[in-house]
Amino acid sequence: MSSHDTSHAGHDAHHDEHHHNPGFIWKYVFSSDHKMIGMQYGITAMCFLAFGFYLMMVMRWSIAYPHQPLPEWMSWVFTDGWKARWLQDGKVTGETYNMFGAMHGTIMVFLGIVPLGFGAFGNYVTPLQIGAPDMAFPRLNMASYWVYLAGGLIMCASFFMESGSAKSGWTNYSPLAGFADGQIVTQILAGQTQWLIGLVCLITSSLLGSVNFVTTIINLRVRGMTWMRMPFFVWSMLVTGFLLLLAFPPLEAAGIMQLMDRVAHSSFFMPSGLFTKSEGLANLSGGGSPLLFQHLFWFLGHPEVYVLLLPAFACVAEIIPVNTRKPLWGYKSMVYSVLILGFLSFVVWAHHMYMTGMGAAVSTFFQTTTVLISVPSVVIITAMLISLWGGSIRFTPPMMWACAFIPMFGIGGLTGLPLAFNLADLHLHDTYYVIGHFHYVVAPGILFGFFAGVLHWYPKITGRFMSKTLNHLHFWPSLICMNLIFFPMLVQGMAGFHRRWYNGGDAYLSQAADSVNIFGKTVVQYIDMNIMMSMGAWTLAFFQIFFFINLITSWKFGKKVTSDNPWDATTLEWATPTPPGHGNFLKDPVTYRGPYEYSRPDCEEDFLPQWVEPRRLDTADKPADKH
Amino acid sequence: MEIPYIVTPRKDTGLFNAKIAIWLFLASEVMLFGGFFSSYVFLRLGADYPWPERTLPVLPGLINTFVLIGSSVTVVFAWAALKMREWRKFQIFMGITVFCALIFMVLKAVEYNVKFHHQALRLKDYSIIEGHLGKELDGDKKEVLDHNGNPIEENLIYVEASKLTFNTRRFHTPWLEELLTQAEQHKSTVKLTADLKGEEGTSDEGKIYAKSGELLSIEFLNRMEEIRKAATSNNAALRTTALRQEWVKAHAANPGKRDWQISAGVNIDLKALKPKMLTEISTVTFTVDPPAKFDFHPRDIKAADGSSRMRDDTVVEGKLLDSPMGFHHVDAIDFQYLVMKAVEKGIEPEIAIENSWLIKNNKFAQEAWEWHQGEIVKLKAELLKKGGLDKDGKPRLFPTHKELYRIGWKDFAKKTEDEGRVKLSSSDAFKEEFFGPNYEARGDETFPELSVPREQVGFAAKFSPAWNTYYGIYFTITGLHGLHVIGGALVLSYYLFFGRKMYLTNPEWLANRVEIGGLFWHFVDLVWIFVFPILYLM
Repeated sequence: MSSHDTSHAGHDAHHDEHHHNPGFIWKYVFSSDHKMIGMQYGITAMCFLAFGFYLMMVMRWSIAYPHQPLPEWMSWVFTDGWKARWLQDGKVTGETYNMFGAMHGTIMVFLGIVPLGFGAFGNYVTPLQIGAPDMAFPRLNMASYWVYLAGGLIMCASFFMESGSAKSGWTNYSPLAGFADGQIVTQILAGQTQWLIGLVCLITSSLLGSVNFVTTIINLRVRGMTWMRMPFFVWSMLVTGFLLLLAFPPLEAAGIMQLMDRVAHSSFFMPSGLFTKSEGLANLSGGGSPLLFQHLFWFLGHPEVYVLLLPAFACVAEIIPVNTRKPLWGYKSMVYSVLILGFLSFVVWAHHMYMTGMGAAVSTFFQTTTVLISVPSVVIITAMLISLWGGSIRFTPPMMWACAFIPMFGIGGLTGLPLAFNLADLHLHDTYYVIGHFHYVVAPGILFGFFAGVLHWYPKITGRFMSKTLNHLHFWPSLICMNLIFFPMLVQGMAGFHRRWYNGGDAYLSQAADSVNIFGKTVVQYIDMNIMMSMGAWTLAFFQIFFFINLITSWKFGKKVTSDNPWDATTLEWATPTPPGHGNFLKDPVTYRGPYEYSRPDCEEDFLPQWVEPRRLDTADKPADKH
Repeated sequence: MEIPYIVTPRKDTGLFNAKIAIWLFLASEVMLFGGFFSSYVFLRLGADYPWPERTLPVLPGLINTFVLIGSSVTVVFAWAALKMREWRKFQIFMGITVFCALIFMVLKAVEYNVKFHHQALRLKDYSIIEGHLGKELDGDKKEVLDHNGNPIEENLIYVEASKLTFNTRRFHTPWLEELLTQAEQHKSTVKLTADLKGEEGTSDEGKIYAKSGELLSIEFLNRMEEIRKAATSNNAALRTTALRQEWVKAHAANPGKRDWQISAGVNIDLKALKPKMLTEISTVTFTVDPPAKFDFHPRDIKAADGSSRMRDDTVVEGKLLDSPMGFHHVDAIDFQYLVMKAVEKGIEPEIAIENSWLIKNNKFAQEAWEWHQGEIVKLKAELLKKGGLDKDGKPRLFPTHKELYRIGWKDFAKKTEDEGRVKLSSSDAFKEEFFGPNYEARGDETFPELSVPREQVGFAAKFSPAWNTYYGIYFTITGLHGLHVIGGALVLSYYLFFGRKMYLTNPEWLANRVEIGGLFWHFVDLVWIFVFPILYLM
């Protein structure tokens, strides 16, 4: 971090006045440097992911052993008062399970994966790959992180309040969510209300972030970095930025309206004549529409899936060419696919709502668009797969994860097809099949992509490699456990296991099978899978420890890199010093060619970075000109 | 390090950074307001009640429209002045822009304020009364003040409370204070009904936590809460340990069996556990001596004769007293909803109206309805004269649903004016366009008093988001738009009052900032152009 200060002489005093010799606070906490913000995002997101994982472990206990008290190795986290309030004789209650379920979903999606993919990788890598000194608006970038953190903490703080946290599912459908915690007089201290306030913070954060990303990509590309010379990573971030920019606001509208329903007693999502057991006839005007909430929610909800997915695609698409030593196959098709994907993701939302009775014509429309959107996804994943063909693959740690990503995401994607058809969905809706499907996409899919990304860029960030041994200890058990958890879900789901059974179907077995409870006969065949899946989940948690050990210890003790470009890669981030200082490049780089020029027959080395001047070519023979 | 293209545009895109950013930001804003406008359409099309049409005062909205359009022009002039490096002109035009924002917000505030003081009531038979709630009066017709010194509004629920039971897990402290103040006002004492002592057979058997007759206070309940917390923590830990042991035993006794096969037989031996347990005091009951008349806001309490429950689980035992809802000034009677419900059931609208509680029990309403029917006859004749008959021999123009079944404040005013009883000065009449009916000048003759017994009350609310989805979306959209106006005005004032320094060092940068501020301002204006027709005119 010492080699970059030369360009600072005579710069404008209006901005970055604190960058000359930033103190600890300005350097690590209120930093406006995109790399530090990226790391802040990454670390925070990983903490949230770990927390979300923990919630899931408790839920898995309740599913596998609904009659047994939560064991001490999980329950020691709670205070006695908390246990007395939320556990019954030490067992997880339905209400607590709902709380954990809603927050597991929220935390993983909004506080974990999106900030990790877009916030961390996007922030760190995007400006480097386009040769920019920083984001277009560094302080906006900082604000984005802090608003995100505030939103996340507000949401999580609600666990410790009298009302508990939000508990109406991560989708927070009204009228259920409209009534939840209605008994709390000071609504600002109710879990559901805090969820909504937190959500508004998160949307603000993603707005600031996405404006920044798109502006940076459009205006801060270095000389020579034309659109079709941008790495696929940058394209993905551009599309992700647009998705966040345009899809989140309708959810903000929904959030604000639900907030009004709760705080100002309006009836946006409350139908007439609503009657509840605790309240009787609701003291509300009625006349609203619960369906409206679902429309607004899923208008975000579906593009959100691609917000989760595209950064993982982005990481894997960078790692594959580096480790196969050949260009990314079908780069242009991938770029066009990702653009089409982005567009189509706005017109598929109602496939989450086949069961709402919105009408056969509407369902048919959304069924068609949903099937259409699988085309660009398959183009991208196929291009990645073909990229492996004929390559001299180096199985480096990041490459192992990238290779696992392809089939795992493949399973996730393909299991989605039956859900797209509304006839099949009538059977599968809200079963474990759906859970299995999207967890295959998100957990062994997207998260594997992110692990790959961490391992890939770690040498650039720290100047050291992460340990191969620890990676093996992390990778293989993770791969096995992930499948152990999620594959049985597909089976259980087809047998009709419902996603919100807090006791894993046990209630059907505690009574004799009769005409009412005939379902018990099905349940009994598949209920033992619950234990296997839960064991898988806890084992998975154990082996994640190796990742965190690896992440922390390699910072000090990892094998040092010998050059600024340890993987022999071609994209611009490897042209920076290691680690890159403030302002990134020692001098402005110039881009001369596309991002994946590997194994060119006209070069001596098997890679030709974007920043290397073409003069070097002139000295060589020119056989390449022929094609 | 310097970030490029802050001031000068990039050659190939032709844009400086902030300009791209503001357009992106506005795209996002379009989606946000688009979400709200779509919700408006969705709610309006799906409404199962008569959607209020043209209920807002048009004049202030219209003025606001022109104020905003005007300010959009001046903000461009301000930007142009900066480009030409004329600081004085910039100050003037930017000053006008910010002043326009101020006018807009003042008019908005007036509009909101009128609504927040206007009460609506839907009776059980779906007829609607609008007006102003009365204040409780004493013998000399002076307002009775409550213990806080505020006049008592006649929409309270009265209970002659003899016992109060508090939940020790959660009680709302401000409500508790309110109850204590009311008891004091009625010279009643609130005392603990019975001793709170440890249960028989528990480890704290016979221990007296509080003696009967102890007075209710916040500290007292907080103390009970602490005792309960300690007891539940202790008991829960004991029960958890016991259940774990039971399971160890059960697994040993039933090898190879699944949990669900044996769970019915796995139970904690509560008897063995009891000597170690502490007493959980979950509720505390107090006697009000002598029983006193307490008042509650309708939203805070589920009232029932005998035992009413407040939202924080406080149970109020006692007789439910007469709690009529009293209007001081009724300014509209609306049968649209009632007619809609009647038509659904196949009942003639006129018959349904004549059988409504209001017409049957209130002379004024009856007179007004009769007068209104006369007006409708006149209106129909007028429309016939204007529109003529179509080829089926039916009148081409006919009165709207609203004209047929709603008697608004202008109708009331017309009635008394026609009868020659009230005459308003023209300035007073103009004021009414902003502030709504002038109750003082028109008096009780136009806007009479009316008392509705509690059992007829269906749903009551101020003209706030709670009244119906129309007012919900009205307040949400205009409120959010208002926040945008305030935000925009703050940014523009910042350039106006603190821009001088930048003007002297880098005027082009300031011009850029004003340009994007101006773009945002145009967007705020544009939103209003949509808001005004859909909420005020349609």
